[in-house]
Parts: sequence; C-alpha cells; structure tokens
Amino acid sequence: METLAFQGLIGLSVAMYLWLLASGLTIVFGVLGVLNFAHGSLFMLGAYFAFTFYGLWGVNFWLAIALSLLSVAVVGYLMERFFLRHIYNQDHAYQLLLTFGFILIFDDAVKMIWGGVAKIPAMPSFFEGTVSVVGRPFPVYNLFIIGAGLFVAVLVWLLFEKTWWGKMVRASASDREMAGAIGINIPTLFTGVFAFGAMLAALGGALGTPVRVVAPGIGAAMIIQAFIITVIGGLGNLKGAFVGALIVGTLSAYGVLLFPVFELFLIFLIMAVVLMIKPQGLFGG
Amino acid sequence: MRERKRISRRTFLKTAAAGIGGMTLGLKGIEASAQDKTPAKAKPARKALGVDVIKLGGQGVISGAHADYGWQIQAGATLAVEEINAKGGVLGSKFEVKFMDEELKPAVAVKNARYLATEWGAHLLFGVDSSGSAMAVGPILPELDRICMFVHASTHRLTEELVADKGIKQIFRIAAPVYQEGNLAALIFKEFPNIKRWAGIHCDYEYGYSAWALFKDTLKKYRPDVEFVSIAWAPFWTMDFSSHISAVMAANPDGIHATPWAGEGVMLLRQALMLGVFDKIQAWFQCMGGSVDILEGISREVEAGKFKNKLWATARYIHNYPDTPENKKFVESFRKRWNRFPNYSAENAYSTIYVFKAALEKTRSLKTADLIKAIEGMKIMTAGGERFFRPEDHQAIYAVPGGRVVIDPKYPIPVLGDLKVFPAQAYYRHPPFEPLKMGK
Repeated sequence: METLAFQGLIGLSVAMYLWLLASGLTIVFGVLGVLNFAHGSLFMLGAYFAFTFYGLWGVNFWLAIALSLLSVAVVGYLMERFFLRHIYNQDHAYQLLLTFGFILIFDDAVKMIWGGVAKIPAMPSFFEGTVSVVGRPFPVYNLFIIGAGLFVAVLVWLLFEKTWWGKMVRASASDREMAGAIGINIPTLFTGVFAFGAMLAALGGALGTPVRVVAPGIGAAMIIQAFIITVIGGLGNLKGAFVGALIVGTLSAYGVLLFPVFELFLIFLIMAVVLMIKPQGLFGG
Repeated sequence: MRERKRISRRTFLKTAAAGIGGMTLGLKGIEASAQDKTPAKAKPARKALGVDVIKLGGQGVISGAHADYGWQIQAGATLAVEEINAKGGVLGSKFEVKFMDEELKPAVAVKNARYLATEWGAHLLFGVDSSGSAMAVGPILPELDRICMFVHASTHRLTEELVADKGIKQIFRIAAPVYQEGNLAALIFKEFPNIKRWAGIHCDYEYGYSAWALFKDTLKKYRPDVEFVSIAWAPFWTMDFSSHISAVMAANPDGIHATPWAGEGVMLLRQALMLGVFDKIQAWFQCMGGSVDILEGISREVEAGKFKNKLWATARYIHNYPDTPENKKFVESFRKRWNRFPNYSAENAYSTIYVFKAALEKTRSLKTADLIKAIEGMKIMTAGGERFFRPEDHQAIYAVPGGRVVIDPKYPIPVLGDLKVFPAQAYYRHPPFEPLKMGK
C-alpha cells in the first residue's frame, strides 16, 4: 500500500511536468487552430536559455527561469508574427511543413550555438534533499514540480476565465470573424497567445534543467507524450489536457512498478481505448 | 476554451502521425568529412599498394543527443590518420577518412556503407555506434566486399551470430561487447557477500536485455544466494527516471545494475541522487559510466561525495588504464589535439586505424580476402592494451577493468579507481556460443 501511494506521488510529479508541456500545446491549438510541432523545440530552447543564464552566467536560478521564459516568448513572437500568421488560412499540410521546419532549424541552431555535447547545469541547493513520505525519501524537487504544475493550472484558469484578455481570447477562439467585427485586434491577440504558449513550453524546459540534461533532441523526445495527452484529453481542451497528463503520468509510473514488461504499451492502449469510446477525447466537444 | 471545429480529429491525427513519423525519419544529420590536411604529393616511386590514398569510410552518430560518441570516433580516427600520414603513411600511401552520420538508424547506416564503399571508393570501413546499425551493416559487407571494423556497437550477436554462426568474415569488432556490462560486473560483485539483492534499471531494447541477462546468469553461477528483486525498463530517450528508480527501490535492493548511457545515464544518476538512493543501497553499477561524457556530467556530484563511494562503472576502454607507454602517448596526443580526454570510442577508432595499418603492411594488398586473413588471429599492442582478434568470431580480446568512480588529483574529471582487473578470457564468452536467453 505504501509502495502504491509513493509511486502514485512520483506519478503525480511526472504528470505535472507533462502538463506544463501539454498546456501550451493545447492553448495554441485551441485558440489559433495550429498544431505546433515545434512546441518541443520551444521547450528545448527554454532549457538552453535557462542553462545559459543560470549554468553559464551564474544568474540567480529564479531570475534565470524568468529570463528564459521571456527569451522564448520573443522567439514565439517572431515565429507567429513573421511565419505562422501567414498560414492560418492555408491547408493544414502547410502548418505541418512550417512547424516541422522549425524543429530542424532550432535543432541545428542549438548545435551551432551550444554544440552537440549535452549540457549539465548544477542543481540549485534549495532543491536538494528529501522529505519523508510513507517512510520513504521523496525529493523536494518533485514536490516543487507538483506545486508548479498546480500553480500553472490555476493561473491559466484565472487568465482565461477571469480576465478581460481571457474573454477576448475565448471569443476569438469560438468565432474569429465575429470577434474581429466587434473590434478585437485578432492578429495581436493571436501573437500574444502564441507567445504565452511558448512561455509555458519554456517553463517546462527551464524547470527540468536541475535534474535533466540539456541537449539537441530533448524537445522531440518530449513532444510525443504531449501529443498523446492532448489526444486523450480532447484537442484544444485545457481541462482535458490536465486530466490527460494526470492519466499518462500516473499510469506510466504504475506501469513501471506493476507491469514492467508492457509499461510502454499501456499508454498507447489507454489512448486507443479512449479514442474508441470517445473519439473526440475525454473532454472533446 | 472549447475545441475548435476547424480541424477535425481525423485531420489532427493524420497530421500528428505524419509529423511524428517525419520526426523520427527526418532529423537529418550532417555529413562530415575529416579529410587529411596533407594530401599525398605525387611521388615518382611506385606505391606498394598501387594507390596514392587509402580511403577509410567511417560512421558514427554525430547529430542529436548522442553526438559526442560519433565525435569521439571521428576524433580518434583523425588523430591516428594524422600521426600515420605525418610519418609517411602506409607503404608510401596516405590515409584519407570520410566520416558520415549514421543517426542511430540502421537504414541510414546501410545507405552510408553502400555510398562509402561503392561511390566514394572506401577501401576499408569502420564505425557505427548503434547495435541496430551494426546488425544491418554486417550482412551487406560480403556484397560490398569490404571489411568493417566495428568500434562501438556492443551486441554480442554481431560476432556470435553473424561471424561465428553465419560466417560473415568481413565483420571485425575492436571494442569490448556487452560481456563488459554483464559478465565483468558479475565477477566484480561476486566478491561482495553482503550485496545479495540486485535490481536492474535497463534500456528497453536489446542492449539492456542482454546486459541484464548476462549479469544475472554469471552472478548466479558464482553466488546462488543472490536474488534479483526488481527490474525497470526505460525506453530510448527516457528523461524522467523517477518512476523507474522509485519502482526498483520499493523492493529494497542492495545493489543496482544499470545500462542507460550518454545523457540518459547522467540523468538517471542525478535523479537517483535526488531520490536518496545512495543512502539506501551498497553499490550501483553504471555499466558504461566510465565513459568520459558521463564522468564529465557527474563530476560536481562526485567531487561533493554524493555517491558515497558506491558508484561503480566500466567502459570499453578507460584512459587511466593500462599504465603503458602506448596508452600514455595516446592520451597525451589526444588531449593535445582535442583538449579533452579520449572516450572509449576514441581509443577504439584510433586503434582501428593502427590495426588497418598493420594488416596493410603485412599483406601489402588492398584485397579484402587478404586483409581478413591478416586481421584474423592478429595480436597487436594498442593504447587499450594487447588485443587479439579471435579467429572464430573476429572479436578483439582485451581486458578493461571496472572500478569505483573517484576523484584523482591527477585528473580534472573523475576517473575509475579501486580498479578490478580480470583477464579478458575470464569474462568474455567463448565459441562455440550457446544462444543467450534474454528478453524482458
């Protein structure tokens, strides 16, 4: 029982980390209707920027995280303003080509700037240590990730449900033309939404640096799980992404413990079952 | 936020599937060429080998997260070629290397091998990091009529199945295979009577399966009292090992045997520290933890004593062993040339070029059949010690010790200390080979 509880908590931290990545992907898809394959690259850039500010230049860890988010927001701004904006009305194949192209560009760019060797920043001392959970050591860092995930969930909910900006975004998401007609500046709004999604990706990348490595390709490694989560939860649905992340995170943790032989298969099985029973995803309309 | 209707689920899935497929196929690497800086000048004297340049076609992974391994192969080979060419080459002919990215993809490795042998005109091939790539390149070598010296790929099946069983004589391997991960670890830890409960955290592909199977089989032979209490499999490119670590720790193991390599190995060890694993266990064997990139990656933690002297590792060569003039000279030249310590793939590639040189000088021929005969049974002193190419399976037999990951004031990065040296004959498998039972 203790083992199950402990593994569940580990699974929760895995889930909250995945949620950071899935949330930005979902917001961009839900509002802009763009399936951003390069979301994983923005995650990777977040990690590289955090490494540079914190690991190379010795900037305070939290400030480094903030600077990394801002830097990736700028990258997101440029991507949307100069590229994505021109393909909203094109066939979806163009989105695929464009965002996939960005993956290649970003992967090669980080190799040129930071080199091909994995970067490994130190773990900030305040993340060290464990707290006792059911008699076993649970890392402070994982607790922090759980907190960060919940914080982002609340923040996103407040932002979209309680603010004027959120109302405009929701209005534009449901009817772009009507929202434009009543005076909402759609292009500017979309740029803002894309930059916000990029920042969420960067947050995941940056917060991972204390225990992971920063290397070309880490984005592609993460993005597939994020896609699975959005499919399970319902495309473009934030609540769905949150629940999807919880399912994938905890089930993969329990899978490793209880069914080590087919743990990988388990996630795909869940996705298949969800799609069979509810083809629009759990929360898809 | 409600779902937009503009994209149907089917379109999304199609697009997503296409994208993910593209991602796995697409991330195209760079083709690099480490061409000799001093091209051979035409001399009036006739060359014994009949060519001005002997072309060596190399491959390794030089893009993505494992790029350092291919870089090390390239760096080692380049250094050897520069040394040999500076001294006049081989029988008057100079070496030239072309190096390509195998991207850890068998199909790419096969395409590269074909290109190098048929279009570029390589006389000899070497390289590949991935076992999957090695198993794909091996069978086409007879058709290409070229030798390939494998410098990293570690699956026992390359030499046991393809050479010893199927008789593909063009395959040679200079690097220690997975016997290093499994059997050597067992020989080391049979001497620790208090370590009775072992768990594994392993790569969820053949590499992890074979290392764990060999470790269990061999250790059980010497120590019927040990138990294998838990196992977690991690797919390629796992970045969060916390569920794997926590799952095996639930079984209270005394020791952990682990295969994730390169950046994944570093992440695994960092996350194990975070989960307080080293307060509980007595030993952790990180199979290829003696690799320079991992030692560099965990140096802060080793210096701070966080592994509590319980972290053990080996590699397919470590730069502080053996204590011979050949090895000292190699490490010194490598550091001078590249400003880094050589990894095992660097030494394996460096020594490969010298094996080629010895074979060419012995046969005075570029014919594959002659060169195979020359390398079969060859005994040669290399930086990594004396190597013997066993005729039955074309595997180079040489010993690499395992040891604790320690700080030695002589070196700027952690090294393996408290070395446990076993003769290679004691831990390599021997022909005729019984197929290894492995699997999840």
